[in-house]
Amino acid sequence: MVAAAAVLIENWPQTIDEFERLVEATQDELVHFAFYRLGNRADAEDVVQDVYVQAFRDRVKRRHVTEVRAYLFRMVRNRCTDVLRARLRKSGQIAEETVGPEDTLSAVVAHEEARELARLLDQIPEREAEVIRLRAWSELSFAEVAGAVGAAVPTVKSRFRYGIRRLRRLLNSEGGTSK
Amino acid sequence: MNELNDQEVLDRIRPTQRIAASNSFRERVMKAIAEDKEREISGSIWRWRSWPRWVAVGCAAALLLLLLPILPIGKGLPKSPGVALLAQSVQALSNVQTVHITGRIRTVPGDNFETIGAQYDFVPIEIWREYTNPPRWRVEKPGRVVVMDGQSQLLYISTGNSAVKGPPQAGFVEWLRPMLDPQSILENELAAARQGAAQASFSESNGVTTVALRRQAQGNFVNDWARNKSVPESDHTCIYRFDSASKLLEGVQVVVPVDGADVVVAEFNGIRYNEVFPQSLYTVQLPADVNWVGPPTEPGKVSFSGPKEAAVYFFDALAQENWDSVLQVTGGTRVPPDVKKDYGGLQVISLGEPFKSGLYAGYFVPYQVRMPDGSTKTHKLAVRNDNPAHRWMVDGGY
Repeated sequence: MVAAAAVLIENWPQTIDEFERLVEATQDELVHFAFYRLGNRADAEDVVQDVYVQAFRDRVKRRHVTEVRAYLFRMVRNRCTDVLRARLRKSGQIAEETVGPEDTLSAVVAHEEARELARLLDQIPEREAEVIRLRAWSELSFAEVAGAVGAAVPTVKSRFRYGIRRLRRLLNSEGGTSK
Repeated sequence: MNELNDQEVLDRIRPTQRIAASNSFRERVMKAIAEDKEREISGSIWRWRSWPRWVAVGCAAALLLLLLPILPIGKGLPKSPGVALLAQSVQALSNVQTVHITGRIRTVPGDNFETIGAQYDFVPIEIWREYTNPPRWRVEKPGRVVVMDGQSQLLYISTGNSAVKGPPQAGFVEWLRPMLDPQSILENELAAARQGAAQASFSESNGVTTVALRRQAQGNFVNDWARNKSVPESDHTCIYRFDSASKLLEGVQVVVPVDGADVVVAEFNGIRYNEVFPQSLYTVQLPADVNWVGPPTEPGKVSFSGPKEAAVYFFDALAQENWDSVLQVTGGTRVPPDVKKDYGGLQVISLGEPFKSGLYAGYFVPYQVRMPDGSTKTHKLAVRNDNPAHRWMVDGGY
């Protein structure tokens, strides 16, 4: 799916039909990423929908963008950050999201998993955490991660390496418990 | 205790579950995109008599800046001098910080910005625009002003003492969108030209380069009511004058054919770049008793099954001078005094079937009423429900 998306989306779509193909090709991976960032499906789908609408609205301005997939991840990442900040402003802390009644068992498990991953990644610098999320959760290439975070490839590789190192120390200090 | 290696760390932070979008997600997204596109097309077609249509801020404002992106330029040659000039002008505009435009349009004083008519006299208009991020701008003509301060938009109608506020991307800026995005003005035109749907007639004389772009009326004209009531709903030609040296736009004229003759309905001859604007330009001092209006976001006390039902309710309320009921179908916090004076106690003579016309997103409902002063008025009430609450609301035409 990932490779297909990367191959299919060479240029920023300009028509409704092209956008529908873009949505078809990328919706699952974007929702997956947003879910693990936000902890529930409703918010994740809202964020991704907003991103697609914004992408459509900006289609003329973005028509020269060639790294479409990376750019979409960048938009989703930014939008998720906005949502998390809004939750923080509202509650004074990152609000704990609940699982919706429509969620599948997989989503329930993922919800718990997302909380645990957030706990771990919140303990390392955000610029390293964001690279790890994009690489480990969505299997973006380092070039795509670089496009998504607006940094050079060597930089994101360094951040990834440092981030993994910090996480290893963190996990080992916690006893290296199994997943 | 065994220490984790890098691969094991990676495995620990890699989700075990794969979350996919819901089955209906794509459909929802495409619906939202389609609605967004619909707003792009129809957002400014408001024909409200005296209270703000949050869409139609400024055809006149846009005559320079919004017509460009919607002009198909005929069958054209992408490498024509006109297209090359547009490309050069796009480049020149990229170095512009501000633009200040003065002009005039043939419209009804006190009415919205977009209404045009060859039969009307000219009304002055002025536009200030800063190419900042977020953008800031002001559009003003007698009786109406719109400001965008970078955070939100405010439309104030002094004649009705009414105001409406919206976010930067609110529907009522659709016509102004090209103004909000630096370089998009001519870039969009250039894109149209490059797609091969463009043809521009081109001339150069005395240091001025002229590009004329012709376009046919847009919209659904099964019923011709809306034809020629706004620039995009008219067959028209836009004539752009550029300084041959700087490639910057010097002026714009919009011409519509009337009875075989070309009539100028808008012209912008004062275009000045990189002036310094005062901060006060982006604020409006509102009276304390201003009537705040805006699109409904919640269900009303009454609901209507369609545009005609809303029209019936509206005229009944006017006939009974029940102003609370009038507000249910017009929105706002109070009925403007001139509406009370002109329409209170009217009698309905006939009400026709709703129809669509032009680019308007709602319906027009024909009516004939006997006014309180004894005169008869025959017109079309504009009714639409493309608001967040999907309520049928009277939008103008009275």
